[in-house]
Amino acid sequence: MELPEIQRAIEALPIESRRDLLVWLQATDMPRGWGLFRKRKPKHPVTLKRAVLWSLVSLALFLALDAAIFRSGWYYNYLEPNSTTGQLESQLFWLRHERPGATPEVAAIGDSRIAEGFSARKATAVSGDKLHFWNLAVSGSSPRGWYYLLRDGDPTHRRFKAIAFGIDHYSDQDGIETPATRISDLNYVVGRLRLTDCLDFSQSFLVPDFQHSVFVGCLFKGVTLRRDVQGLLENRKQRFAQAKDWRNNGHGYIDGYGGKPEDLTGLTRNSDTKTLNFPPGTKDWQSATALATVFHADAPQTGELTAYRKRWLGRIVEMYKDSPTQLIFLELPRAPLPTPELAARSRFIDSIRNRPKITVLPKEMFRDLEHPEVFADGLHLNEKGRPIFSERLGNTITELVLGR
Amino acid sequence: MLFTTLNFVVFLAIVLSLFYLLPRPARRYLLLASSLFFYMAWNAKFVVLILGLITIDYFAALWIIHKRGHARRMALLVSLCANVGLLGWFKYANFFRETFLHVLHPGMAVQPLDIILPLGISFHTFQSISYVIDVYRGEQPAITSYLDYALFVAFFPQLVAGPIVRAKEFFVDYFNWRAPTGEEWQRGVAMILTGFVKKLICADQFASVADRYYSNPQALPGLLPAWSGTIAFGLQIFFDFSGYTDIAIGVALLFGFHFPENFRRPYLAASVTEFWRRWHMTLSGWLRDYIYISAGGNRRGKVRTWANLMLTMLLGGLWHGASWNFIVWGGFHGAMLSIERAIWGKGERRGVVRIPLAIATFLIVNVGWAFFRAKTLTAAGFVMRQMVSPTPGEMLLNPVQVKLAAATLLIALAEEYRGALTWLTQSPAWLRTAAVVLTLLAIEIFTASDQSLPFVYFQF
Repeated sequence: MELPEIQRAIEALPIESRRDLLVWLQATDMPRGWGLFRKRKPKHPVTLKRAVLWSLVSLALFLALDAAIFRSGWYYNYLEPNSTTGQLESQLFWLRHERPGATPEVAAIGDSRIAEGFSARKATAVSGDKLHFWNLAVSGSSPRGWYYLLRDGDPTHRRFKAIAFGIDHYSDQDGIETPATRISDLNYVVGRLRLTDCLDFSQSFLVPDFQHSVFVGCLFKGVTLRRDVQGLLENRKQRFAQAKDWRNNGHGYIDGYGGKPEDLTGLTRNSDTKTLNFPPGTKDWQSATALATVFHADAPQTGELTAYRKRWLGRIVEMYKDSPTQLIFLELPRAPLPTPELAARSRFIDSIRNRPKITVLPKEMFRDLEHPEVFADGLHLNEKGRPIFSERLGNTITELVLGR
Repeated sequence: MLFTTLNFVVFLAIVLSLFYLLPRPARRYLLLASSLFFYMAWNAKFVVLILGLITIDYFAALWIIHKRGHARRMALLVSLCANVGLLGWFKYANFFRETFLHVLHPGMAVQPLDIILPLGISFHTFQSISYVIDVYRGEQPAITSYLDYALFVAFFPQLVAGPIVRAKEFFVDYFNWRAPTGEEWQRGVAMILTGFVKKLICADQFASVADRYYSNPQALPGLLPAWSGTIAFGLQIFFDFSGYTDIAIGVALLFGFHFPENFRRPYLAASVTEFWRRWHMTLSGWLRDYIYISAGGNRRGKVRTWANLMLTMLLGGLWHGASWNFIVWGGFHGAMLSIERAIWGKGERRGVVRIPLAIATFLIVNVGWAFFRAKTLTAAGFVMRQMVSPTPGEMLLNPVQVKLAAATLLIALAEEYRGALTWLTQSPAWLRTAAVVLTLLAIEIFTASDQSLPFVYFQF
């Protein structure tokens, strides 16, 4: 029979028969083969109910597998140590595995300025070993990340005698960058987010597109961690070894770190032209940040920073409201050269200043460190600045906590 | 609302649940309301345009069946003018204006008119045109219910980027609706997942290479960048568009509608003629039935056949976009089809000879993609020259992308010769479940882009 004849015969069929024919064709439209793809006839035709149930079971199994990998904490043992998630998770790992001893503990929290500028070992020594300092700083982190770090790192809110928060300036002056829309914050805290956090956490990002991405990234953590997973799959052996070494020895590496050797000695400024004269031999990474810190860029003042600080630092304050832990806020050395005061008021700091168990250190406390000799670049103290800052902060906290 | 976003997944879950929970008579209202909501999620005001076209075509079809002679032709003409006119205005006004002004005043800088292209206009106008023409030809009864007709045009799985569903295909299912069988449901789920993998893992992976090359081809001279950048685009557009239609077909199947196949592993074609039988099949079928055959097809001698092929492909090229690049692309394919017709006739080649022919066809099709993707004809000309350049240059596809392309070729061969997808949907439950779970995990972990990239064919 020729194809046109078959077509005409099919067209003459009633519609129901044509549909049955279609279903039959779909089921048989496959060469009768051998081997792997041999056609099989199901013993019992699958009903719609069973097919829907199968879809739901498959989805549930996927969610269970996803949870087993990314929500059980298993995967976080193998994170790339230097990744954003890896840094924060490492701090939590060490906190969990070093049980509190008889010596009261103090945590310093902040971004890379604390990570580079504060030596926990030095501060502990300054206290005469009466306090045990932790440097829990995570480079690039922000108050949003600190909240989740403390929520999971100190679940009873009683572990630390004091927690010091290093912030860049007390003033709530808005900058060009809006911290509330920093989507990379998701990568820091993805390991800490529970399903119940997803809505609230994503809503804090203000921009609808970001809110959507963050919500998906919180719900399906593999989406957020996919580059890390791909990296692991590419070189499993190396990653396992690297992760193991960092878990076992990383805290020691950080404790023994002495700071960057570079400095900016010779740096001068021309306020009229808003330019900096760098000393010969300055590298790009050193000069890149200096302009932004020495000359604070004008940005529209919308009150976003106040709202952001109220939301995230405010939550930390609330979390420790009934705890014996003392919260200490300090303004970090701002730039390698003294800079004018920012115009905007310190609304958030002023609102918590007089609360019990909260200490706001004088903002001038570290201003004398704003010199190019003790800065490695535009943001970070170097190996000369680190011991001075650590000693002074250690002493101050020891006095506050132990009263000497 | 992109198919590959969580918003769409939630939307689909809600509509699907309501569809099966509601009594049967209420379902068409639900589908129409959800389809309009889906469209309005992109731009609410353009819903007026689509409803306007639906109204015109609906009444034109009724007019055609109730009148005779001149009045029928007038109704057809009104409908065609409305569809082609609106498509022409939104899609081609700037192109023709610019071309006209450049002819009158060479070198003049023309400020384009501020016209937003309504989403999916190229697809739903073609559906509407085919419906009215079929009614006029007596091949399709006119739909008497406005709601039914509106749903045919606006049904959300195919509204934005096809497949271009004919009225008879849609209404066969619609008027004889029955729930999908278990196997159809499983096939629908498999197609949706396949579409997600094609778009998120494959298309977006190759998009990065194609974008890098075609953003400035002059910056990457040489043979390898030209070929690898163009092949990357060829793979991107295939995975992107066929991924979209896989999702559309799969979603429709979950509602009990059988959409026509739109892609059948086109890069395994052993000739350009066969390529067009496998690539965007619903558009090829539309162009064949309403342009090629209407113009006389192959009934008026060889020369007329070649001319008809050329005309059809030129219009097909222009359908893709208002630029000379698309017209040249269409002309290139028209020329290839005519040459093949002159040398080989219509027959398909079988056996081992298909292997070198498939490779040659793949390369020819990719030469065409250079016109399709390049921003200007000058840029396309540069890419053409680089494709035969003696300088090797830099290979733009990385090893992971080459492996991905090879893996997809093996899957395509397995599907072509062994019906792998059908086999999988009929395999034991544990195997199907494992396949779904691992596919979802792969989508989660291997999605290529940080952002939801829109489908390429949305711009058409």
